Amino acid sequence: MAEVRLPDLGETGEVTIVEWFKREGDAVRVGEELLEVETEKTTFVIEAPQAGCLTRILKPQGERARFDDVLAQVD
Amino acid sequence: MTSWPKSTEDGTRAVHLPLGREAYRATHERQLRLHALRVQGAVPDTILSVEHDPVFTIGRRGSRENLLVSLDTLRHEGIAVYEVERGGDITYHGPGQVVLYPIVDLRGHSRDLARYVRNLEQTVIAFLASAGVTAQRRPGLPGVWVGERKIAAVGVHVRRWVTLHGLALNVRVNKEHFAMINPCGMRIEVVSLDDLVARRYSLGEVVAGLLSAMAPLFGWRIVEHSEEELVEGRP
Repeated sequence: MAEVRLPDLGETGEVTIVEWFKREGDAVRVGEELLEVETEKTTFVIEAPQAGCLTRILKPQGERARFDDVLAQVD
Repeated sequence: MTSWPKSTEDGTRAVHLPLGREAYRATHERQLRLHALRVQGAVPDTILSVEHDPVFTIGRRGSRENLLVSLDTLRHEGIAVYEVERGGDITYHGPGQVVLYPIVDLRGHSRDLARYVRNLEQTVIAFLASAGVTAQRRPGLPGVWVGERKIAAVGVHVRRWVTLHGLALNVRVNKEHFAMINPCGMRIEVVSLDDLVARRYSLGEVVAGLLSAMAPLFGWRIVEHSEEELVEGRP
């Protein structure tokens, strides 16, 4: 099991979840693009830390997140 | 595969790829090609400079509602519309505007998105200062401003820690084109360098000035190459 966490983006504060490219129950490959987050004028794509099934999305589209927040679970 | 020297005594080597005037779509495809090569480490940090044909681009947060004219008007004026992956809302690119697209591996620049965007803004501010123009950031309003008028836009997309998109500085833009949009979803006034200084800078001079301002901020020594030289790793 692996948690998908918001990486340390430096001085960047809160981000908004713009879009999930995968849905709960989808199979994902390692490094596959999972979601996009946005801070002021910057969009950032987060990839799957390991292969498996995207079992749970904890921060759906539109929610805010901070460094180290768990965004999803890949099992 | 190429063997780019990673750094020298006087800074990390970065490449400037001058494109002259090019349509938005062609430059965007070029950015994506070079982004893929940068992710693989096959090319160094690379800065594209370009002047676009008239185009409106809509960012991830954007909406066509901020386009204030009909598609017929746009066709008549020869203005294209693209939806793109960068942050932000709608923006205009066109003749008389210098656009820089730095394709930068942020893993070599502290992995700091906010600092990267600030350095892009600082690049414009430092160049304008050398031209005798005082410009600044405004809290909560991205881009670079002279008083309450916007002179440069900034929008960035990051995938695999490598950047796409960048900054656009108005040197002498068509304000009628700008009036067709609600830039960034707000009613704002834009300004060009020509409105502020007596001297008429060529776009080439502006590119050179921006790169000179950029190099120390990013710790780069910038050398100029064509895409062929860059990809084949000849230099």
